[in-house]
Amino acid sequence: MKALVLAGGRGANMVPFCTTRPKPLIPVAGEYVIDHTLRLLQSAGITTINMVVGHKGDVLKERIDKDRFGDMNIHFIDQGKSGGIGAAALSAKKWFSPDESFMMVYSDTLTTSNIFSVTYQAHCLNNGPSAAVSHAKSSENYGNVYLGKEARITKIVEKPDKNEGLANYVLSGIFVVGYSLFDYLEKNDTNMEKALATMIAKEKVQAAIWENDWLDLARPWDILSANKAIMDTWSTAKIHESVKLQGASVKGPVRIAKGAEISSGAVLEGPSYIGPGSFIGHNALIRPYTSIGAGSVIGQSVEMKNCVLFPKVIVGRMCFIGDSVVGENVDIGAGVMTINHTMDNGEISVRINKKKTESGLTKLGAFIGDNAIIGASNTIESGAIIDAGIKIDHNLSVNKTGRSVKK
Amino acid sequence: MITTCRLTKPGGALKNSMCGISGVVSHNEISSRLIDSIKSLEYRGYDSCGVAILNGKSKTIVRKDIGSVDEVRESVQLDDLQGFTGIAHTRWATHGGVTRENAHPHSSCDGKFSITHNGIISNYTTLRAKLKKKGHTFLSATDTEVIVHLIEDYFKETGSVEEALLLAVKELEGAYAVALVTPHEPDKIYCARMESPLIIGLGDDANYIGSDFNAFIAYTKNAIVMEDNEYAIVTHNGYSLKNITTRKEISRPIQRILWDHKMAQKGGYPHYMLKEIHEQPSVVHSALDIDQQQIDDLASEIDRKKQVVLTGVGTTFYVTQLGQYYFSEYAGFTPNLVSSDEFKFLSKVDKDTIVLATSQSGETYDTLSALKYAKQNGATTAAIVNVMGSSMARLVDHLVLQGSGPEICVISTKAALSQMILLARLALSVGLLRENITKRQYSTYQSQLRKLPDIIDKVVNEKSGFIHNVAKEQSHIRHWLFLGRGRYYPVARESALKMKEVAYVHAEGMPSGFLKHGTIALIDDDLNSVIFMPTEQEKELYELALSSAEEIKARDGYVLGITFESKKARELPFTDCISLPQAPPLIAPFVELIAAQLLSYYTATTLKRNIDKPRALAKSVTVA
Repeated sequence: MKALVLAGGRGANMVPFCTTRPKPLIPVAGEYVIDHTLRLLQSAGITTINMVVGHKGDVLKERIDKDRFGDMNIHFIDQGKSGGIGAAALSAKKWFSPDESFMMVYSDTLTTSNIFSVTYQAHCLNNGPSAAVSHAKSSENYGNVYLGKEARITKIVEKPDKNEGLANYVLSGIFVVGYSLFDYLEKNDTNMEKALATMIAKEKVQAAIWENDWLDLARPWDILSANKAIMDTWSTAKIHESVKLQGASVKGPVRIAKGAEISSGAVLEGPSYIGPGSFIGHNALIRPYTSIGAGSVIGQSVEMKNCVLFPKVIVGRMCFIGDSVVGENVDIGAGVMTINHTMDNGEISVRINKKKTESGLTKLGAFIGDNAIIGASNTIESGAIIDAGIKIDHNLSVNKTGRSVKK
Repeated sequence: MITTCRLTKPGGALKNSMCGISGVVSHNEISSRLIDSIKSLEYRGYDSCGVAILNGKSKTIVRKDIGSVDEVRESVQLDDLQGFTGIAHTRWATHGGVTRENAHPHSSCDGKFSITHNGIISNYTTLRAKLKKKGHTFLSATDTEVIVHLIEDYFKETGSVEEALLLAVKELEGAYAVALVTPHEPDKIYCARMESPLIIGLGDDANYIGSDFNAFIAYTKNAIVMEDNEYAIVTHNGYSLKNITTRKEISRPIQRILWDHKMAQKGGYPHYMLKEIHEQPSVVHSALDIDQQQIDDLASEIDRKKQVVLTGVGTTFYVTQLGQYYFSEYAGFTPNLVSSDEFKFLSKVDKDTIVLATSQSGETYDTLSALKYAKQNGATTAAIVNVMGSSMARLVDHLVLQGSGPEICVISTKAALSQMILLARLALSVGLLRENITKRQYSTYQSQLRKLPDIIDKVVNEKSGFIHNVAKEQSHIRHWLFLGRGRYYPVARESALKMKEVAYVHAEGMPSGFLKHGTIALIDDDLNSVIFMPTEQEKELYELALSSAEEIKARDGYVLGITFESKKARELPFTDCISLPQAPPLIAPFVELIAAQLLSYYTATTLKRNIDKPRALAKSVTVA
């Protein structure tokens, strides 16, 4: 079976990272989301991939780990700039044959175990289309499905009103569909929601009920929950033989990749991940759920907890980075503090595209876009979004919108 | 005293008939593969099984018996069989009792044709009468046997097996997946399908057929899925698939199965428990479709007796306790309730007593002993049982078969609900007899029961996500109180038992009136409470339950309210609240039970418990 991976979306709510990269290129627990997806597809026996790219498609093509997925046959289709997910799927039509069922994958969701094989099996069971369904924290952002006899999907309600109180299984963005999907898309003006509703009305669609973690990478803090969910599946430490860590202490499932160097006095608490070629300075404290991207440099006495650093990040001495996500090539000066809670321990809001959005979290730090430079001794307010490429001078206070003022 | 056991067909089971058929044809020895195949299909039904095998001679050897595959293996020495072509069957009875004669395969009068069948032939009585006239002898009470006699007849006419099969299936109305072997063509399996599943498996030295992939997944992953109105002739090195009407050959791509067969058996659900929770709307339909006459007969028997004792143990004890509340409300008297394991030590029974037990398996040791004890003391016995042909089904004077289909998860959900519905129906019938309720009320109640499947469907679909989130958030809690008043009290106890069984979390079910008599001292951060709120119509109960919730809240305890959607905007004193679709009091406890089943289920999945086979538990407790 082939897969159709839809990786062309803009991911407009994934600020500040969506301006420089597509969502599938967000690293989580040391692996790009797209690599994670390809790995699970591969182990489900699916090795021919038609991948629709659009927003920042060139970056995506370039970054997919060709060494790891060399055996897979990946074909890229450029969606161009316009159109939603339905148009993206339709643009791949000519790469499938009319008698063929294929796996359709929304590439911005993540599971810790193999959702693809379960969806495939549901397809076998039905000898027809299948769709993975799971429970979400709140169902109003998704297609809510009704299950009838033998776990057949009988109805779909798209993004129901919060007040309806629906808490159904929702579509997880993984399907096995037939060529007929393209017809439904054409008849419904490339609207995917309507096309799926038509498919459910016309064909017997088998649900594959997914009860393990299912993570939708919609908003920036979802990166942290995905990172945690994956790390929670780690039970053992893995340290590459080339790693230098004399005098450092390692507790729990810490994974340290090739060529990393950990200086004496550093304490690494698992689960956490140190990417290849990274350097951790003396007395640094790396607390659980920290993921440090390849080639990063962490200065002496830095404390980090529950945060994701993309590759090539520099963190100067004596910083505290907590509950935060730091983009690629970011340079953080010495003594920078991310504030990760409010004085009354209330829920922290984030400005997403000029709209105040509740994260539902009481601990949340900053989101710093790729290539930003943060001067020394800055204090960053909880829930701050700092745009990609921004340069912030020393010794300032950075508020939620990324603007800086004198302390 | 009535001593004959009445075996009437259960209403709804007809709709979800299970059974599994399989077959293997090879140039090598196949018997062990054949036995394996029905073993893998056992989840489809497990009351009897059998095989028919050809070993190159002119005779088909048929061996069958009642019991599980392992039991039958011993009782009729299945392992001694040898052959190259064979078919097999595992049964879940719908037509005819569980007897050796009714087990498949069935053979023609001359013994030359043997078939297995999954499905229901709706016009079998007509066909049977017609065939009897022609001189055919029937050995079983099944619908299946008509097919093989028809084939025998048409073979005499046409001299062709293929022709005979086609002419025979054309006379059938209903659903079938049929497999046929005959020494006339000893290297072939003939099979045909209409509305019952049938799949061909293509192996190296053999080809296979089966009701689903499980029949042959251990041997091949290449399959052809047959569709309705198709038949096939399968040999060891090929197959031919044709349309029954046009007889045209059909070519269909081979489907390669990358397959977890355990998942296939669960039909898309991650666990049998969830599957069975989701099956409850149709199980309720089945319980409501059971012949009214059967309910009325038992009701009159109850009406005649001076003493009525309800009994069960574990879940079925709570089922009968709920029954007690229903009898009290609708039938106008309070039957005795005794846990069956305590029966001998508590119950004084005599010829003026009727003892009514419930049991999914019909093999529960404690309940069986209680019924035997009652019988010895001259009492009339009755039982609501799911497994046809079980010890209890054979023992009692009055049997109501619930027809809920096989329940595989050790934790009972759908079978228990069905028993509750049947007890409610019984209470209503007795109530009508005793004029405790009017005819008009009676028919209102009947139509309220009919609304239950749709409401359950709404609960499992629209509320499961919310319940899952609550379960996740509270999964660290090791102690739960489940509280209810009135008819919600047995629901609270049954729900607490679910939590204990599947999630291994300590839970106590009790009337919320007990709170202030001691239990309230337990309220702290480590203990959560669930309150089963009555409907607003049950005013007194509602206020009582509400004040219990307030008592717990006042002590900073966590309270989960299971309640019904209300138009009155009312501040309810709950920490979390599962708000269910409105239901009349008659069926409200059932609706809340579904929510509690889901709460236990998701707590258990969050805690990664062994859902379908919890530690230390067995499906039917057949020991003292």
